Amino acid sequence: MNNNNPHIIIIDDEKGLREGTKRLLEEENYTVDTAENGLKGIELIKKNDYDLAIIDLRMPDIEGTDVLKELKLYRPNTVSFIATAYASFETAVESTRLGAYSYIPKPFSPDELLHQLKQGYKQRLLLLEAERLKIEREKNLLEIAHEKSRLKTIIEAISSGVLLINKEGEVVYYNNATLHKLNIDRLNIGERIRGKLPDKIAAILDSFLVSDEYHDKSVTAQIEIIPQNRLVIDATFSPVPHPDGSFAGVVIVLKNITGFKQVEHIKNEFISMVAHELKTPIAAVLGYIKIILDDTIPVTYEQQHDFLSRSHIRLKSLLDLINDLLDISRMELKTKQREIQKIDIKEILESSLNLLEIEISKKRLEITTDIDYDLPELKADYAEISRVLLNLLSNAIKYNIENGKIFIKIHQSPNHLIIKVEDTGIGIKTDDKEKIFSEFFRAKNKFTRSISGTGLGLTIVKRIVESYHGKIDVESEYEKGTAFTIHLPINK
Amino acid sequence: MALIVIIDDDPDIIEVSTLVLKSKGYDIATANNPEDGFEIVNKLKPQLIILDVMMDEPDDGFFLAQKFRRNKIDIPILMYTSVSKAIGFEYGAGEMVPVDDFVEKPISPEQLVEKVENLLKKEKKRSK
Repeated sequence: MNNNNPHIIIIDDEKGLREGTKRLLEEENYTVDTAENGLKGIELIKKNDYDLAIIDLRMPDIEGTDVLKELKLYRPNTVSFIATAYASFETAVESTRLGAYSYIPKPFSPDELLHQLKQGYKQRLLLLEAERLKIEREKNLLEIAHEKSRLKTIIEAISSGVLLINKEGEVVYYNNATLHKLNIDRLNIGERIRGKLPDKIAAILDSFLVSDEYHDKSVTAQIEIIPQNRLVIDATFSPVPHPDGSFAGVVIVLKNITGFKQVEHIKNEFISMVAHELKTPIAAVLGYIKIILDDTIPVTYEQQHDFLSRSHIRLKSLLDLINDLLDISRMELKTKQREIQKIDIKEILESSLNLLEIEISKKRLEITTDIDYDLPELKADYAEISRVLLNLLSNAIKYNIENGKIFIKIHQSPNHLIIKVEDTGIGIKTDDKEKIFSEFFRAKNKFTRSISGTGLGLTIVKRIVESYHGKIDVESEYEKGTAFTIHLPINK
Repeated sequence: MALIVIIDDDPDIIEVSTLVLKSKGYDIATANNPEDGFEIVNKLKPQLIILDVMMDEPDDGFFLAQKFRRNKIDIPILMYTSVSKAIGFEYGAGEMVPVDDFVEKPISPEQLVEKVENLLKKEKKRSK
């Protein structure tokens, strides 16, 4: 449109004037187009974005003012002049009102025309610059709008709650996750939030809002929103400055740490249970050693011997406990190398019974087995399946009565190998049934007091069985007996 | 000499405690579960009770201490604890657990004797 030379259109029905002006302007380095009537002029205007336009007011087809209207519509930045021989104040006013830059009375002198066009061209350049700036600004505004919605999308997408509060304590912004984290139904922008906050959060918020000054320090707190660890959050409060550095408000980021807290709780409970279990035998042994070493306490040789053999028993059971703990930990870490091979369940049963022979005969127990003739092959780790049988059988012995019975039944269903170990022992109370598989749980009643155990045997059995995608069931009647049934999937 | 009842579910701890206190001339009676413990205290009316916290059922010891107090048994109770400190479960005398002092296991004979003597001295003054 303007390649250094101003591009101008002359729309006039008077051929002499048209051509004369064109020649004059071309000498002055204008690029000139001409049109002999209004409609042709409009056609050219639609095609080219002229810098300048001279429009005759009176033309045979349409009025110059109509051309001017079209020009304003299509080319608002083209600077236009209305030329007419019938100069009057009214037409001048009318044409500028319609958007003409100026008015040229006919006839005009070349100097007069060139001066006017020069002014007009300056105006044209200003208009183009303004247009350019306007487009640039609009683009920036659009970018800011995009940036805002992008930020909003990001903040909404994060799983942490984000809550912005101004220094008057009013909600300025929050994302949806905030509501879950604080366990509240709704928040309104502009509402004072203090009353809806748990005391601990409100207190920290207050400590930020009391001062008008901006301090660059964050505060983090763990807060229980729903009691008993059912919803615990981690809230980080950070002050937000205005661009000038003054204090604007506080942003609170809320993270759900419930799962973490629950795991931590389980871990702490487990550690304290383990510590207790380890400490109990040590306390007993240390007690004996102290009285043997204490000169002020008279101890006979027989007593000494008795204390040492009891210490021996306690230390052996402590060792069992530590080995059980290590087994559990290995299972948990899955560091134990499994040797999956074809195993013969009958053979495992026999060798387990052999290992327990002394205990069985001590209590004069009667063992009955009922084993399917044609059992499927089981693919599993020999040591693990032995452990399962050994633990179940030693429980059936330990918790049995003198002259009691143990029934062992092994058979198969379409998909499982089923092993059942049943005893005629002390049984399990209904309340205790669901607890017997948890770590360190030992049923406590008049029968169990004299029976020792780590409280980990069934935990280990259950973990092994479940690691083969099997399951274990227990049926029991207190003071009558207990039956454990294990279902191990047959790998075909 | 004073009569002391020891209630603990660990027979080895009972054995050691009994021997230590008998060597100082105290008379000892023992029980290895809460029910027997309550009965024996009611029957023998000792001057002091040594009571294990009995973690196997976490509130056994506490529960029994409260039961004694509810039944107007006001003699001093010395409580054996085990991992209380390790799990940040620090008891203070009087609050919730109505006992007079604590001994942390493993038990040192000197400490046990010292605490028993102190409690019995206080009890003597109180009952005058």
